[in-house]
Amino acid sequence: MRVPYATACEVRTGILERVAKVAFVAHCLLNQNARTAGGARCPGVYSPLVDELHARGWELAQMPCPELTFTGLNRFWAVREQYDTSAFRRHCRRIAEGVAGAVAAHLERGDEVVLVGVDGSPSMGIRVTSSDPLRGGRPQWPDEATDLVPGRGILVEELLAALDARGAPAPRATGVTYVLPEHDPETERAAFASFLEAR
Amino acid sequence: MDADARGFRVALVADEFVNPPPGGLDVLAVLAGEDWGAIQLPPEWYPDDVAGPLLDQVAEHVEEFVRHDYDVVRVGDRAGLAQALRALGVAAPVAITPVTDDELRAFLATHASVRPSRPV
Repeated sequence: MRVPYATACEVRTGILERVAKVAFVAHCLLNQNARTAGGARCPGVYSPLVDELHARGWELAQMPCPELTFTGLNRFWAVREQYDTSAFRRHCRRIAEGVAGAVAAHLERGDEVVLVGVDGSPSMGIRVTSSDPLRGGRPQWPDEATDLVPGRGILVEELLAALDARGAPAPRATGVTYVLPEHDPETERAAFASFLEAR
Repeated sequence: MDADARGFRVALVADEFVNPPPGGLDVLAVLAGEDWGAIQLPPEWYPDDVAGPLLDQVAEHVEEFVRHDYDVVRVGDRAGLAQALRALGVAAPVAITPVTDDELRAFLATHASVRPSRPV
């Protein structure tokens, strides 16, 4: 029998004294090889934020990359409207169900769970996603074109829906900012540290 | 296109190496230093109905990296991984269960292809 989330938390903290802190992170935080061509910021592990998580006692749980397994390594850069099809939604729901199961398993143990996405991503955005209803055809557009808009990515939407369907609370969430034009590594790291310390 | 810094090298990493106990081997730090990315395997304590879908996802990621000739290795193991890979016709990657940083570095160096820069 599964224990309700709040009850499980009370039980576990009473028994173990320590509640694990688990950050469900976007796939590319540990594996920049999954990013769209031209988008990898480092060879593999994005160390600044991984180091921050470990230093503050957070465990990592890596989420799948829905774009990699849908359109592959040679995919074009794309905005939400290009991914927001019933087929991609179905793909994301399948992934989200798996991740929601893992989140629920941690919540049942009484763990604290947060979500770390990628702001600016059409799939993994938390506060910022990408949108351009006119984008399509031959993949070229001016460098100055901006497609960043407030909003969530499609997998994040499906994950929150899957958690809601299970009666699990939505985790606190933040997004890394390396996709955004105003990205500053020190600012990102400081904001991330503040997020991890907040309750 | 922006410059792309990927290393074309991916390690499947058991959860106990992604989230090591205090004083344990920090595999992510070694991978970062050697220019490898990581795909985390589900923790052993996850029930089968939780781990299964996640392992299927891992296998689909591996299939795509193998298809594009990325270097893929495994660090540690996870029950069910071999079956998930086999279901997609993907051979099990070469593997190590390292005890020391140096042992892992040597293993990674042995299995890192030297390749000219090429399209992703």
